[in-house]
Parts: sequence; C-alpha cells; structure tokens
Amino acid sequence: MTLTGYRIRVVRRATLPAWEAALFSLLALVVGLFLFGFVFIFADASPQQAYREIFRYAFFNPNGLRLSLSRFIFLTLCTYAFIVPLRAGEWNIGMTGQLYIGALTGYGVVYLFGGKTSPNVPLSPWVVLPLMIGASMLGGALWGGIAGWLKGRWDVNEIVVTMMLNFIAFWIVSHTIKDGGIFMNPGGRGEGFTLPTSLRAPLIGGVPFTILLVLGLAFGIDLLFRRTSLGYQIRAVGLGPKAARYAGVNVPRISLVVFLLGGAIAGLAAYHYFAAVPGVYKIARDYNTIGDLAFFGIICGLIAQGNALATLPVALLFGGLSIGGRFAQGKLHLGFGVDYALMGVLMIILVAFQFFYRYRLIVDRA
Amino acid sequence: MFGRRTPANDLADEFWANVQPGEVLLRAQGITKRFPGGVVANDHIDFEIRAQEVHALLGENGAGKTTLMSILFGLLQPDEGEIYLRGHPVRFSSPQDAIRYGIGMVHQHRKLVPAHTVLENILLGHPKARGVLNVREAAEEVAAIAEMYGFNLDLYARVWQLTEGEKQAVEIVKALYRGAHILIMDEPTSALTPVETDRLLEAIERMTANNLGVVPFITHKMPIIFRISDRVTILRRGRVVATLPTRDTNERELAQLLVGREVLFDIQKPPATPGDVVVEVEHVTARNDKGGLALNDVSFSLRAGQVLGVAGVAGNGQHELAEVLAGLRPVEHGRIRFLGRDITTASVLERWQLGIGYTPAERTEVGSIGDFTLVENVTLNYFWDERYVQNGLLNEKKLRALTESIIETYQVVTPSPDVKAKTLSGGNLQKVIMGRVLSRQPKLVIANLPAQGLDIGATEFVQRRLLDARAAGAAVILISEDLDEILMLSDIIAPMYEGRIVQLIPAEQADKETIGAMIAGGRTRANA
Repeated sequence: MTLTGYRIRVVRRATLPAWEAALFSLLALVVGLFLFGFVFIFADASPQQAYREIFRYAFFNPNGLRLSLSRFIFLTLCTYAFIVPLRAGEWNIGMTGQLYIGALTGYGVVYLFGGKTSPNVPLSPWVVLPLMIGASMLGGALWGGIAGWLKGRWDVNEIVVTMMLNFIAFWIVSHTIKDGGIFMNPGGRGEGFTLPTSLRAPLIGGVPFTILLVLGLAFGIDLLFRRTSLGYQIRAVGLGPKAARYAGVNVPRISLVVFLLGGAIAGLAAYHYFAAVPGVYKIARDYNTIGDLAFFGIICGLIAQGNALATLPVALLFGGLSIGGRFAQGKLHLGFGVDYALMGVLMIILVAFQFFYRYRLIVDRA
Repeated sequence: MFGRRTPANDLADEFWANVQPGEVLLRAQGITKRFPGGVVANDHIDFEIRAQEVHALLGENGAGKTTLMSILFGLLQPDEGEIYLRGHPVRFSSPQDAIRYGIGMVHQHRKLVPAHTVLENILLGHPKARGVLNVREAAEEVAAIAEMYGFNLDLYARVWQLTEGEKQAVEIVKALYRGAHILIMDEPTSALTPVETDRLLEAIERMTANNLGVVPFITHKMPIIFRISDRVTILRRGRVVATLPTRDTNERELAQLLVGREVLFDIQKPPATPGDVVVEVEHVTARNDKGGLALNDVSFSLRAGQVLGVAGVAGNGQHELAEVLAGLRPVEHGRIRFLGRDITTASVLERWQLGIGYTPAERTEVGSIGDFTLVENVTLNYFWDERYVQNGLLNEKKLRALTESIIETYQVVTPSPDVKAKTLSGGNLQKVIMGRVLSRQPKLVIANLPAQGLDIGATEFVQRRLLDARAAGAAVILISEDLDEILMLSDIIAPMYEGRIVQLIPAEQADKETIGAMIAGGRTRANA
C-alpha cells in the first residue's frame, strides 16, 4: 500500500521479545480507552471524568479495591480453568458449568454438616473449610472430566460437550436451590441457604484468603508448563498431537488430565465467589450473572496468550474495570451495560492488536 | 526501458526484442539475504544466464537454492545486491512483477488448479484474461506454443487427470505463453518417468534454440546435469563455490564441491555379525486408516547386528509395518516378540522404554514439533527417562547438553539449540530426529524412509549412522523405496507387495532386477 509517497508493508515477524508484547498490549489499552471515550461523549459524560471515576474507584478507593481484588481472583481462576486445557489444544468453554457444580458440591459439604439449619450453627472452619474447598474442586473437576474423557476416549468435540454441560449444570443448580430443592434457603427467596457465619472464609485486609491460592496457582501453572514433564506433555499434545503420540505420550490421558485440572480450578473459583467473597455467602438468585462473567476468562486467556503470569495483570485490569465501570455508571447516570461494553471493547482491541505480535508494519519512502 | 508497472506484455516484447545468441539475459550480482536468527541464506551470490544457455544451479538442501529462486522470482527481496536484465537494473516486488519482466517459473510442487482444464490454468492470471477473453483465439495461440515445443497437450483435459510430466508441461507452456524469456525450473526431472524426461530435454533444446535462457535448480539427480546443462553453478552454505562449463567436469568433482569433501558413492558395509534374535513378527495382520487390509500375514525375525531392508512401492504396507512395530497401529492377528517378550499390545511408551526406536517418514508432522525448540524436540524421547527427569521436573541443563552433543555429532546446521524446529531444512531436521532416536541406543531401530528427500551429503551421513547402529549390535529395519539403498545397506531383504512380504532374501543372493520385479507384483520366486 502506498500513502502520500510512503510505502507501508506488512512483514511477518520471526520473534517477539516479551517487552514488545507488553508494549503492544499497553498501546492497545490506550487506543481502546480513547475510542471508548466517544461512547461517554455520546452519553453526555466527559471521558476524562468517567475514566477518573472508574480507575479511582477500582484501584484507589479502599472499598472499590477490595471488590476489584475479589473480581481479580475470580477472573484469574476462570482464566486458568481455560488456559490449562488450551495448552493441550483443547477449548474449555465449560468454566460456567464447572463453576455451578463446584458451588453445589461445596455447599453439599456444608449441608452434610448440618449448616443449612441456621446461619448460627457453630461449625469448625478447620474441618469444614478444607472439605468445602476440596469438594468444590472435585465437583468442578468431575464435571470438566466428562468432557476430557469423552474427548480423549472417543474424540467427541470438547467445545460442544462443555457448552452443553453448562446448560445442564445451570438447571441442576436451579433445581437444587429453588422450589423446595434441598439447598433452598428456608426463607424461600429462590436462592441457596446462607453459609453459617462460622464458616466464612478468613480475610486478609478485607480480601478473601483465596488470593494466596491464586498467587500460588500462578506460579504453579507457570512452573508446570516451563519445567515439568507433565506440562511438557500437555504442550506437546497442543502443538504436535501426532508427534506426541509417536513419542509415547498418552494423549487420551492428557485430555482427561487437563480437563480435570481446569475443572478443579473452576471449582475453586466457585468456592471463592459463592462462599468466600464478603456479602455473598450463598448461591445467589442471580447466580447466572456470575456464570456469565466466567466467560471473560476465555478472553483474558487469549489476551495473556495462555501464559499464567501474564494473566495476572490482565485479570486485575478487567476485574477493576468491571467494578469501577459499574460504579461510574451509577454515579454518572450512564445507560445500562456501559461497564460491560467498555470491557468488551477493550478486549476486542487487545485481541486485535495481537496482529502486531505476528506482523510488523514497515513504512518507508516508495 | 519500461516502467515499473507494465500493464501487459507488449512493452516486455519490445524490451526483449533482438536478443543476440550468447547475450547475458540476466545477471545477479552480490545477492545477499539474511534471515532473522542470523541465518545467511545467500551470501554475495553472483550468477548469470545467457541466451541459448542452460545454466544449472546445484546445491544441497539448505544451501540457499530456494532463497535464490524466490529472489529471482520476486517472492523475496534481497538485502543486498542487484539484478540486471539485459544490463538494466531491475527490482521485482512480487512474482507478478517478475512475470511481467519475462521470468517464468516451473514449480516442483505444481501451482495449478486441479479441477480446471489445462487451457483455463494456462489463461489464469494472463493479462488477456482480464477483460473479455477470446477463448478460441487464446486456445489457438496456446496450442501453437505447445506444438512448437513438442508438448502434446489436451487443452480441455482437467489437470487432476494429468501425469506429473503433463502437469509440468502445462506450467512450462503457461510461462512461455506469458512471454517468459528466462525459465526457472525447480527440480525439473524429479517426478518424471524416463520417457517424460526425454521429452522435457527436447523441449528445453527447442527453447534455447529460440534464444531463451533456462535455469534448472537441482538437488538430487546429478546425472541429469550432464544431459541438460551447458554450465553449472554450485552453491554451498549460501555461497557460490564454483561455476563450471559442464563438459569440463564430472560427477565426482561436482559431489565434492557440493558437499565440501570427498564423497564415496559406495558405502562399504562390514560383514554382519548376527547376535541373538531381537524381534520376531509372527503372522501379523493389520488394517490401514481406511480399514483395508494393509498387512497380510507378515512374518520375519531379525537378529542383533542385522539390517532388514523392507523394499516396496509406497502403499504396499511398509508404512503400516513400521507403525505396528512402533505401537502406533493395532495388530489384528498375530504376535510380535521383542527380546523374547510378547509386545503385541504394549503401548508406544513401553516400547520406547524397552529399547525400540522409530524414526518416522513424516518428519515435520510426526517426527518433530515445528513450534518446539530443538531442545524440546530432543525431549520428545526423554520426557519419561529418569536420567533426565527428577520428581516430575525436566532437567533442562542435561537436556540442553544432550541436544548440543547431538547437534555436534550429527553436524546439524543451526545457530543455536533454541531455534524452533520449523526453521531447519529437511536434512538438518532428519539429523536431529535420527540423533535423538539413536542417542537412546535402541536395540531395534525402525527407520522409515530415512534418506528420502535428502541431499547426497545428508543421505550418506544418515546411512552411515544406521550402519553404526548395526555395528553397535542393534537390529535395524530399513524401509525404503530406493532399491540401491536397500541393496547397499541390508543383510536380509524383504520385498513387499500388497501387504505381504514376497520372500525374505539374504542380501548376497539378491539382485536388483528380481527385487524390482517382486515389488511390482510381477514375480514370486518359488520357495527355495
């Protein structure tokens, strides 16, 4: 292409240093925020003011920051639930369903200990909390494992299976918490019973302790893929399935393992959101909105290119934006859905900018 | 001189008017191309082609032939250097540009639309086909060109129906119809039958008589150089080693220039010292991917220090035999024993662990992972080996040292063990795969088409490594479509036809004609 005497060429890149990738993401962010500024202008709000409100609330207001961090934990876990299978070349679109089942199995433990009877039942958190977390992860893992097993054993498309399992899980939850279901709140408001006060998760500066688990997972997953034999086998299946099989990797087993891992992480996200975030402590009536939020894990995972450490800043940004956006929307009386629109636009632009990861523009005189 | 954007051929015709015999048509001077990662594919290459001349370019895989060809045809731009056409400096920004300047290209992997007719393929992309096309007039012109060069083409046949030689003729006629004055041909005779080769040589003769210049790029088939070319330029590692008149040289000298050292065309194989039985295959039957019978009651046994040469035309069950032995394909009936142990249903991994090493024919898809580095590719055969994995963690230091030693002993040309495998040339990749598998010191080596597509130097190298494995006491199963290779390396020969081993023949009793007949299904020698 030639423009006013300059020639613009698109050239494929051979390598991309990490700092350049980070720079392009930052550039994408600036471009995205700039473009979305027009939306604020059309909504009769000043972009500067809107962004100031969003970022100030999300990251500098103590209340907002706590909420942002809770979201960050949730988004990071959903992203990990997506990227572990992704590295084996498999698409987990079922974080939502694994999340729902994880919530049910987690609350199932509370139910078995008699936690449904009253919010004031004294239960030992030292005994019940680990069991809850374990049960949530196990539930998510088994739900994910169905897709992994079907894929590995019979080559059934994992996208279709996980998607369908989402619907099944959705209705199972509904059946359980509404209209006389076993987990129904005695108050009968179409939601799950409330977690006993004795089982509330410990907080660190107002943030659930699950943040430690997330940071541990970040380094754990990074280590898994960089150093371990299992992580190597997963990557081999993702990048060269035939070569992996030739070398003796048990490919069906890897399919199962990545979905068990992904599902378990989604189950942990369920524990976090439904039993550890202050102010929730139950399977809420609108549990589907949090299920939908899990899908952002897919896009965060794609933006982070399947890298566990790169996921952290991405999830933090979008966790903060979702909280700050909702706040600014109320404060500036903006239309419904502006917060999600902002996240959506930024995500699309971030993914679109990955063009520059693979290609370079060269401008010279024709 | 015509401008950069020539709309049609008429200006080119003017440019190419009055070419004198022997005039320099194209001169490339100091062509240099560097690739990211430090590979200098072309290093100050000088090259010229005269009218009425066939000037062959000879080079091994990775010598820079493809890069030079891409530059001459406008697919790549050189970093340094100039191209002159009849003395005028030119720059091709795309293949279309090169075509407009009168460069024609005949690809090894044909660039034709199989479902279209010959005529449609020839007209595709021609300036005349842009507006309203007078098909009958065009057909007459094309037919005239085909006839002029002795090609007997049915213009209305579909390309998928044609033989390789006919497809090549279509590409040649297409280039000539576009007004090519210089014809670049990539491995022109590699897929041709002897009769088709003769026809091609005759066509080339007629082209040179018409003042054209022809540039064949050749890797493997050296004898053709002497039949086809007037001059030959030899490339090695991106540089021009020599340009010689063909009549003043010989095959041995060319091979030496090509590889950079003396090449022995005959590998001397020490006498066999057979040891214990390593592998026994008993009445094995297996199916191919489509469910057809691929192996039909195959039996043989092989001892340590022996090479079994499985000869055959592609698709007669050799590939499935390799996969059955490697554990990649289930056995329907029959048994396989390895060192006395029944491994008929053993997993792929168990077989690696027991000491069976397989080098597959599909090097890029099965034998390696293009997006993995060389270290990671070597890890493919070590991710389970406790010498290299402790507590589930890969020992990167040892794996890297191993990779570096493979790179050194197998003379892999690469800037570092951290480059991705997809950046390697075919021969270098095969060396990495071979080195990786043989570094395990397997007791049974299954080598599926180990030298296919490799240049002389790499072929000899790979064959020597297989004989080294034999000398070290491994049983080797060599699958090859090249009878010379089979006869040179094997102790026992197993010609295969339609899923059966026709007969097991000791190498000293084998001759090329008998085996050739057996793999063609023509003859079954009565049991001795």
